[in-house]
Order: sequence, then structure tokens, then C-alpha cells
Amino acid sequence: MPREIITLQLGQCGNQIGMEFWKQLCSEHGISPEGILEDFATEGTDRKDVFFYQADDEHYIPRAVLLDLEPRVINSIMNSPYANLYNPENVYLSKHGGGAGNNWASGYTQAEKLYEEIFDIIDREADGSDSLEGFVLCHSIAGGTGSGMGSYLLERLNDRFPKKLIQTYSVFPNLDEISDVVVQPYNSLLTLKRLTQNADCVVVLDNTALHRIAADRLHIDTPSFAQINQLVSTVMSTSTTTLRYPGYMNNDLIGLIASLIPTPRLHYLMTGYTPLTTAAQVASVRKTTVLDVMRRLLQPKNMMVSTPVHRQANHCYISILNIIQGEVDPTQVHKSLQRIRERKLAQFIPWGPASIQVALSRKSPYIQTANRVSGLMLANHTSISSLFERTLNQFDKLRKREAFMDQFKKESIFKDNLDEFDNSREVIQQLVDEYQAATKPDYLAWGTQQASGSVDRI
Amino acid sequence: MSEFKLHHHVSELMNLLGVRSTDTVGAEVYTEMLQKNTTPYITTQVSAHQAKRKIAESSTTPIEFLAKYDELKGKNMRDLDPLVFLLSQLTDEEQTKKILEKQAKTKADEAGMTLLQHGKIFSQLPAPGAKITNQEFTELKDMLLKESKSVAGTTSTEILRKALREKQMKRNVNIPPQPEWLFQRPSLTLDFIVGVDEPIDQNIVPLGSLPLPMQEQAIIDDLLKCMEGIEGKYILARALTERYAPKEFMIDESLDPSVQELVRRFLPLCSNYSNVIRFIEEKSAFEYGLVNHALSASMRTLIKDYMVLVAQLEQQYRNGNLTLQKFWFYIQPTMRTLDILASIANSINRGECIGGAVLSLLHEKTSGLIGDAKCQELCLFLTQSACVPYFEILEKWIYKGIIKDPYSEFLVEENETIQKEKLQEDYNDAYWEQHYTICRERIPVFLEQVADKILNTGKYLNVIRLCGRDPKFPYAVEMVYTLKERKYYEQIEKAYSYASKLLLDLLMKEKELNARIKSIKHYFLLDKGDFIVQFMDMTEEEMKQDIDNIMPTRLESLLELALRTSTANVDPFKDDLKVELLPYDLITQLFQILTIDTKQEKDYRVDPTDLHLSGLEAFSFDYVRLYPTDLHLSGLEAFSFVMLFISDYRVDPTDLHLSGLEAFSFDYVVKWPVSLVLNRKALTRYQMLFRHLFYCKHVERQLCSVWIGNKAAKMYSLHSTRWYSAAFALRQKMLNFVQNFEYYMLFEVIEYNWHVFQSNMDSVSNIDNVLDYHSDFLDNCLKDCMLTNPDLLKTVHKLMMVCVTFSNFIQRLSASTSVEVETKPTRESSLQATKKDSKDTTSKQKMATKIVAENVDLLVASENFERTIANFDQNFSRLLLELLEKIMDYSCNSGEPKLHNILYRLDFNGFYTERLEAISAERATMDASSTHSSDTGSTGSWPTSSFTTQRPDSARYVPGLMKSRSSSSNNSTS
Repeated sequence: MPREIITLQLGQCGNQIGMEFWKQLCSEHGISPEGILEDFATEGTDRKDVFFYQADDEHYIPRAVLLDLEPRVINSIMNSPYANLYNPENVYLSKHGGGAGNNWASGYTQAEKLYEEIFDIIDREADGSDSLEGFVLCHSIAGGTGSGMGSYLLERLNDRFPKKLIQTYSVFPNLDEISDVVVQPYNSLLTLKRLTQNADCVVVLDNTALHRIAADRLHIDTPSFAQINQLVSTVMSTSTTTLRYPGYMNNDLIGLIASLIPTPRLHYLMTGYTPLTTAAQVASVRKTTVLDVMRRLLQPKNMMVSTPVHRQANHCYISILNIIQGEVDPTQVHKSLQRIRERKLAQFIPWGPASIQVALSRKSPYIQTANRVSGLMLANHTSISSLFERTLNQFDKLRKREAFMDQFKKESIFKDNLDEFDNSREVIQQLVDEYQAATKPDYLAWGTQQASGSVDRI
Repeated sequence: MSEFKLHHHVSELMNLLGVRSTDTVGAEVYTEMLQKNTTPYITTQVSAHQAKRKIAESSTTPIEFLAKYDELKGKNMRDLDPLVFLLSQLTDEEQTKKILEKQAKTKADEAGMTLLQHGKIFSQLPAPGAKITNQEFTELKDMLLKESKSVAGTTSTEILRKALREKQMKRNVNIPPQPEWLFQRPSLTLDFIVGVDEPIDQNIVPLGSLPLPMQEQAIIDDLLKCMEGIEGKYILARALTERYAPKEFMIDESLDPSVQELVRRFLPLCSNYSNVIRFIEEKSAFEYGLVNHALSASMRTLIKDYMVLVAQLEQQYRNGNLTLQKFWFYIQPTMRTLDILASIANSINRGECIGGAVLSLLHEKTSGLIGDAKCQELCLFLTQSACVPYFEILEKWIYKGIIKDPYSEFLVEENETIQKEKLQEDYNDAYWEQHYTICRERIPVFLEQVADKILNTGKYLNVIRLCGRDPKFPYAVEMVYTLKERKYYEQIEKAYSYASKLLLDLLMKEKELNARIKSIKHYFLLDKGDFIVQFMDMTEEEMKQDIDNIMPTRLESLLELALRTSTANVDPFKDDLKVELLPYDLITQLFQILTIDTKQEKDYRVDPTDLHLSGLEAFSFDYVRLYPTDLHLSGLEAFSFVMLFISDYRVDPTDLHLSGLEAFSFDYVVKWPVSLVLNRKALTRYQMLFRHLFYCKHVERQLCSVWIGNKAAKMYSLHSTRWYSAAFALRQKMLNFVQNFEYYMLFEVIEYNWHVFQSNMDSVSNIDNVLDYHSDFLDNCLKDCMLTNPDLLKTVHKLMMVCVTFSNFIQRLSASTSVEVETKPTRESSLQATKKDSKDTTSKQKMATKIVAENVDLLVASENFERTIANFDQNFSRLLLELLEKIMDYSCNSGEPKLHNILYRLDFNGFYTERLEAISAERATMDASSTHSSDTGSTGSWPTSSFTTQRPDSARYVPGLMKSRSSSSNNSTS
């Protein structure tokens, strides 16, 4: 009777990173692509049942629901060695297979129509678990299916499971290169509103930063999707490691995220991981100690979110959780914390107590790594608002020209008016303002000051 | 010697001397002085002799003193020489002597008696100021005790014999009774028969009337008879004046003077023979023990040789070849032999020695004869043969772990009343320390150094034996006494390392001690987090119930389920985990320990100046001193009393309603021999740690569920409801506190100490070390988790209570608001509803514990939630700051750097630093205004001290906080 977590994979991007995630989990738990426990992995001090359940024939089946409106990615999964891993009933492909055409509104409307079928699957999974803790949603916010369908699902999940946690791994579009999706700012903004209002915790995976990391840190000039997705799956698997390899603390999802998110809206987390290596590159084994790892995690270049660092100096951490894996001498943790505090390596909020929490976690015994210690940082940092600002700016540019509105107006949600755009913009602007306010000591009073003016806006 | 023992001795001595510690110097000063001046005292013959002479010179009664000295020496009294040395030193200290004299007089007056002979020694008791070594302290005490004992008893052997017998009877050992005829038939002895009037041979003519050759022949005949213990015609034995007196003889006066002179020289031989025979015959009785038996047996063989000699001489005599001169020549070597035998016999008789004491005496005699090779050989022979039975016992003990000691001579004593079964139940069971003990006065001198090793060797083997195994030392070699002490030392050493390894292997490998401790750590120290989460999930409803409504069997089955379905399933020892519902919560338990400790201490102590232990010290002291080796220590006794008390202690049902959560604890089934290490005491401490951690987890869960309950708020912007942000901030504060507190305890305290413990365990060589390391581990954990500091713990507990009350409040609130919002989604109505609810909750909360009472009061009075939340915030912040400050003080003052770590965690971004500074500044001003009440205007200019600086002790009270609290309640009521 563990606290189960159901993973929902939406759209092209969501299914791709989801697949990498399951690959990673399988190798960490010693589960073969067919779902059978390998011989070397039988002693079992790990918890497989948070993310897997066992079929009648002892096969491990992921608690995953694969949803897409076009068949390409799901078909490629179904042709991979991992095809038999998933429960085929949990793979849902839209019948007409036309996709959402990178249109948020299309995805949203299609999802609305498919509500019954999708929630049949989700309800079945939820009923199959004894004490469901929450959902993990993998998607991108720029495309059509992941953003549109994801938005719809977020709203419905929140209605249907009000006490369950909803965590998302949301891929933000790469802003360094020109996207083939022209309506990306529209899609992003509309999704962000749902993420703000309906998700409990959003782990931001910024494609811009991921590409930068691949280029700068791993020295790959043209990183492939697979390589980027490997980074993502590392982050995803490490952030769930305390759930799967239980230790003293942070053995449930709520324990992980509750202290990271003090106020409900500021729930966008950025991640950092060190040391980063790819399968191809083993040579650069550095000395890793707890302090090294914790110090590196605080460096912006290791963050998987690209935010301009020095534009506004007063951005600060709301909270930090470091998950450290490997052979760790417990005394080192305190020393590192002390050092970081003394050197003021991290700037924290002025309106409340905040600290770096360090969760020590075991590593999978089945995966050999060259580094003794590795670490993941989950941080709630106010500078994430710059991502939203960027989206707002791009949105405003398009919106001014009323560009590409036709496609949206076709769908039912925008049939009458375009209020939804303005509403979403409002919400995101508020979010940006709130992040800004959180850098100031009077953040807690900020709400009350504006209260009179903004009550009726919602 | 441990510091505690030293403390104890000093206080004991001060008590004895009636020195009040209200005097300028307290006991601590003396102790410190002693600690510095401690030098090992080495006894040498010379120094003892010199000391003796010195005392004799200064004494008014030198003869009595020397006589006493000899008497004591003869009794083979331990530590005599050090005492004498001490006394001789004292003779130089005029001042001390005076004080002591005065002291002794008053004491004597009080007791209503005059100074007796022993008062002399008593009056020479050292004053605490004297420069004496601490070793001598104990010796002195022992000496006095013994002295009083030896005075009480009479020296008569009859009484000794009776006493010995009685003692043996008491120990339930059957000493076969000696047959009556042994005493009724006087002729059974080889000694001179006394009191039997033989018909006097009428033909005896005075020797003087015979010619000289005839005289010589007659006297030779008589001498030969006397040598065999038969009275001659002309040499008559005098009746003994006392039992061990040397035999005296009367020689016919008419004997030729020159012959008579020669004959007199023969007589000591006969006298010695008589002595030895008496010794042999007496000591062959059962109650004198195996060593005496063996010694008399070996003497008997020597006597046999002696008899052969007598027979040969008689043969010569019959043949007419023996003249008195020749006779004298022949018996020369024998005279020496018998002389030694007799002196040994006398010493043993005088000292009433048995067992080890006999061996000590023999050993000293042997080494004393170092120049005389032949005599030494003889002594060695005697010692060796006397050692045989003793060494047999020893071999059995160190090779097999069995004591077969019918006459209680062996240095290790078994206390059968202490049973190992109690280890699992009794908190203060002293099985390991008390079941087998060393009996100091029974140790032969030559085994003194290895006595502890001998004890441990046997103890280890005994444990293995009790596991149903038959341990056998594979290299068992018969031990033989040698003057050069190498051989058997090596043997003991070997046996010791074998035994310790065997037991260690048994415990570590076979009984998997380490795995068991690890398993206990999984459950008691929350190592297996998923199991705890699962267990808490499943028992959530149960735990909320009143303790009377909880069915232990249900908890038990839920535990079972949690074990099976979590990763704990792979733990082979998981079935030993049990559920226990204790009738008291952790805080009560700890405070009970503390309060009784202090109370008990007062009762127990005759003089409150003794140990100067506050409850706190006594408590931590208990935990530091694990083994009640020295039962005089008040703390320990008080503590055991407490534990007894607590087991009988039932909470008055009207007083406290224990929820399942408060009463809950795990228990663990431990079987022999693992129970040696995981005894009740260790388990109780695990339980305390567990309950503390468990409660923290519970609070964390509550706060997390508040988080979940509030997560709907993200639908609205932060300022939609005015109190939200304050509530969120407060929840975050609490969560930050609880989680960091847990991180600190789990990772920095428990995991760290566990690390140390494990690395120690890797290098451990015997079970005693295991016990030490294990208890060190637990002690450090308890100490660093603040479980030994009532002050800190109280604050932590209050903080937790505030957190729980807060989360209950918010949860009820959000439950009601969500309902209200559905029906009437206007803000006013929800406000009303929540207002109603707050009253509802407050009325419920009134039932709750006293600690929250102040919150409740504030709640009732409060106008709206903002105020309520603010009150919670205020309370929480006040308590937290109080805690931080206390920790700061505590870690500064006690030199406990570990606790300081928590400050880093709780105040990582310096959020509280400012406030702490403000408080200390305020305190400084309040302090200033209270001390200088006249110039209240200058408070602003008072220098504000930084919070890190040490503040004066007088500033413990926090008036500023009190003031602010009272003002806020005023506001709310108005």
C-alpha cells in the first residue's frame, strides 16, 4: 500500500520524455524492457510499486497513461523493445489521428470530446491503487496536444481529484531558435494559466537551457532529442528517488514539495543536476564531494532553466531542496551548509525562514556511475518569472497584430470572444507580479494591499 | 578510577569528617585537586618499612602499633602498606592532624564513647586538603571497613569455622559433615596426644643417675619418639596454651648439661613437626577449602619423607650406630624444611587464610626466599601443589566458562539471584555487570593484574554456554604455577582472546547482532521511511483515538500489514517488531524521570552538599554512566527507582487523555543472548527516540495535509482572502522548523552517530566494547536530540503543540469554508461560517492540553482569523526564538557544539537573526531598566549586545515578551 503516483504522458514531447523516464526507472530497478525483474535485482530494498504495479504474471507494469492525438510517437514506442512494458489499455490514440495541429484550442476541444474515454483510463488506474498520492503530467507547453489536452486534463483532474497532488514536468520551448510553431506564444500562455491555477507543482524543463547545457557542459554541438530527453529523464528519476529508495525523510511526494512551495501559486520549480555526463562521455570524472556538488548546483550554468541572471539583482531563492545521491558522509552535509551560509552563495527571501534542505538518498545499485556523489537541486526561485515575462512579451507582439487568430476562433472555446486570452494574460501577469513581490520583505502584506482592487477580477 | 567514583569518595569522606561544603571550598575543589595530584602509588618493601618506622617513632604507643601492624600483615591484609605510607605522610601534617583529632573527639562524643584503640587510626583520617593520592582514598575506606569488621569478630578459629560453615550453608553448598568419631578419638592424630594420662612407667629413673653414654642413648630414643609426636620418657610435651602455639617440651633436669644443651637444639624440630601436623590435620577438614586441602596434602608428602628419615635414624639407632652428634648432622636439612613448613602453617593460621589468600601468602613466601635456592624450591613445590585445585577451577572457568567452586575460594563469584530472563523486562537489570563479580579479597596476588580478564573470559564463555553450546578452548593447557609469571599469563591471555572472539562471532555472525541493530534502526529511528509513512497512513484513524478505545490487536495487524507491504518486508527480523501502548506520553515520561530524580536525590542524600547534581545533571549523568558498577552513585539509584516507579505509574484518567499517538511506541522482541546488548535499557532509549521522532513526523504530516487542504487556493490570487498569505507564511515557518528539526536529528545526529558506531563496530574486539559503543551511540543520540535537556525539550514540545493546533484549526476552517463556498460563494458568508467554526473549534480545543490553553483564550477573544493567525504566529515565533536562544545559551555554556548546528538550519537565511538580536537588545534594556529603575529614560541608549555574545545570567526572565503578550490580549478583549 504505497503512495502511488500515476504518470500521464501527453503529446509528442510528453510521450518522448515519458518513455525515457520509464527506461531510466526500469534500469534503476532492474526491470527488463518486457517488465520482468532481472535476476540480479531480486533482493528488493527499493519501492517499485510507487510507479509500477505487478500483473498476474509478475510482470511490472508502469502506472502510466499514454495519450496522443497523432500516432507517430506512440507508434515508435510500440515498435521499441519497451512495447510490452505498458498496459495496452492505457495507450490512447485519437481515432482520426490528425493531431492537434500545434493548436492549443484544437487540443483542448478534442480533449473535451474524448473526456469519457480518457477518464475511463485514469479512473481505472486510480481505482487500482490503494492510496493514490497524485499525478505526474509530462507534456510541453508549446505544441498542440501537450498544451491543449494537458490544460484540459489539468482542469478536470483538479475537479475530480481535489485532494490529490498534480505535479507536472512541463517542457518550455526553446527560444534561441526560431520555432516552426508560430502560435507557440498563444499555446504557452494558455497552458501557463492552467499550470498556475490547476497544478500543484510544475517542474520547469526549459529547452533553451537544456540545449545550452548540452552544448556548453556536454560539448554536443547539435544535441538530438534523445540526448536532451536523457537529461530530462535524469532529472525526473532523481527527483523521485527518495520515493523509490526510501530513507529517513521525504518518502512521499507531499513531503518533497510542501516545503518547497510556501504560497500556492509560486509553484514553479527549476532544477539543476550535477555532475552531468552522457552515455558517450565518461572521461571527465571529477572529484565529487558534497560541498562540490552543492556548490555547483547553485551555479546558474547548471540550472535547467535559462533566466537572465544579472538583470535584476534582487531575485532570490524561496526554497531549495537538494537530493544528494551516493556515498555521503553525513558530517559533510552540515559543513557544506555552513560554508554556503557563510559565503552567502545563495540569496534567500527576506520574508520568512528558508533553507537548503538536503535529502540524502540511495543510488540504484544496478547502475554504475563514475561519480561518487551526484546531486539534484529543486529550487523555487523568483527569477523564473522572467520566463513568463518573455512569454508575455511574445504574446503581446502577436496579439497586437491579431496574428493567427483564425485557427483559434474555429474552436468552440474562442467562438464567441477572445476573453480567454486576456484572462490568461491577466493571470500570468499577476503571477509575474507575485514573483516580483516575493523578492521584497513586505511580500506577505502585498496581497492585502492589493486586495481591495483585485477581488472582483477573478 | 572514574571521575564519578572520585566525586563519590570525596563526598563520602567529607560526610564522614562532617565537613560542610558551605565552607569556602566545595567538594568539587577537592576533587579537582585530587584529580591533578593523582599519582600511582607503588609499594615497595623499603618504603613500607620506612613508613612503619616513622609512625612508630612519632606514636606514643609504638609497641602496640607495631604489634597491630604485624597482626594485620599476618592476616595478609590488602592495601596495608599504602595505608601505612599514608599515615606516615600524615604525621608530618600538623594542621591536618589537629583537625582530625578535633573531629575524632567530637565524633566520639557524639557516639558516646571514648577513643578506643582504633580511634588511633580513625583519628588519623586525612582531611580533604591533604595531598593524598586518590588511590589511597579507597584503600583507606576499605581499610576502615575491614578494621571494623575484624574488631567485631573474634579471632577464634572456632567462630571462624562456624562462620565459614554457616556461610557455606547459606550458599546452599553441601559440605559433608565430619564424622563424630573424628573428634571423639584423640589418638587419631599424629601429634602429641594431650590430656591422656598414660600409666607412668615406674621404671623411669632420673637420667642423671645413668652414665653419660646411657644418658645419650636414652635421650636419642626419646628424641626419635618426639620427632614422631610421641612423648618420651625424659622429654615431656607441655599442654598447649592456645591452639596454634608452638609446642614446648620439658627435659629431665638431671640430664648432663652439655647433652641437654644439644637436645634443646633438637626440640624446635619436634615443635615444628607438631605444628605442621596440627596444621595438616586441621586444614584437611572440608570447610577450609581446596587450596588448604592441597597444601596440607603436599605437606603430608613432605612429612612422609620426614618419617622415612626418622625410621632410618631409628634403624641406625637400633644398630647402635647413632650418636647424638651424628643425629644432629643427619637432621640438619630436615630442620630447615620443617621450619619453613611450620612458618607457613603459622602464617596461614594467624591470617585465617583460605583460598586465594593462602596462595598470595605462599607466593610472597616463595618470592621472599629468592636467595635460598633450596628453600625456594621447597616453597615453590608447596605453592605449585596448593595452586593445583585453584588453577583447576580457573581452567574450568576460562576454558569452559563453568565455575566449580564448592568452597567459594575462586576470585569470581556467581550471583544466582540475577537471572538473564529479566534482561528483557527489567529496565535496570544488571545481569551483565552483577551476575558474575570479582571478589577482590579472594584474588591471589599473582593473578591480580589479570583478574578482570579472567572474569571476562569466563563470562563470555558462560554466555555461549547459556546458548546451549559447549565452548571449549582448543589450546587448553594445564596451568602450572611458576615464579616467573609468564606462562599462565600467556595462557589466560590466549583464553581471553579466544573467548571474546568466540562470543563476538556468536553474537555478530550467528545471532547477527549488527543486522538486528540495523533492523531496530529501521523502525525506531525511522530509517525505513516508506514503512513509517505507510504505517502512519494506515493507523491515522486509530492514532487519533483515546488510548482506551484503541485495540492493540488491530494496531498489531496494521503493523503487520505495513511491514509486509513496505520495503521492510525484506528485513528478516521484522516479525520481532511489536506494538506497545504506554500509559504515559514521552514528555511525561521524561519529566517524571527528572522530577523524581531531583526529589529522590534530596531524600536519598543525607547531606545535600554531596554531589551537587541538579535534576538535569543527574539525568544526563545517568545516561553517561551506563553501568551501575558503582551503586553508591545517587543518580543511578534514583534512576532505577524512577524506572520502577514509572512502571507502576498510571496516569489519572481525569488528568490526561492520551491519544494513541502519544501513547504509541514500538517494542522489539529480543532473545538471549542478543538481549545482552539490546536489553531493556537500550530499548527504552530507542523507544524514547522513536516517540520523539514519531511525533515530529506526525506534526510534519499534519502541516503537509494543511498544505494539501489549502492547495485549492491557487485558483484564486494570493490576496483574494486576506488571511491566506499570513496563514501560508506561518505554515511555511512551521514546516521549515519541523522539517529542518527532523533533518537535523536524522541526518546530523542519528546518521552521524550511526556512522561512528558502525565504524567502531568494525574494529570491535569484545562484547564489552560492543556494549560501550552501543550505549555511547544511544547516549549521543538522546543528548543531541535534546531528550536529555528538559528545558529545551519543553520548548520543542510546545512548538509542536502550536503546530498541531494550528493545523487542526486551519483544517477545520478550510473544511467548513469549502462547504460554505459551495452553497453561498460570497465572502461574507464564508467569513461568518468560519467565525462560527472558530468558536466551534475553540470549544473543542479547550479540551485539549494545557499548553495550548493560552492559544485558545486568545482564539475565543479574537475578532477574526487574521487576529487568530497572528496569535498563532506570535506564539510560534516567541517559542521558536525562545528555543533558538536557549540552544544558543546551552551550546555556548555546555560546550556542546552539536546543538549549534540546528541554529544554522533553522535560521539559514538569517530570518530570525534580526529578531534574536532585537530580543537580546530588548532584554538588555529591560535588564538595565530593572536594575537601574530610576533612569528609565536612558533605556534607548543602552548598548545593545549582539545575540551571539553571552548575556548575563540574571537575564533569564523575559519581561519584554510577557509585556507584549499581555498587551495583545488586552487589545483583543477590548
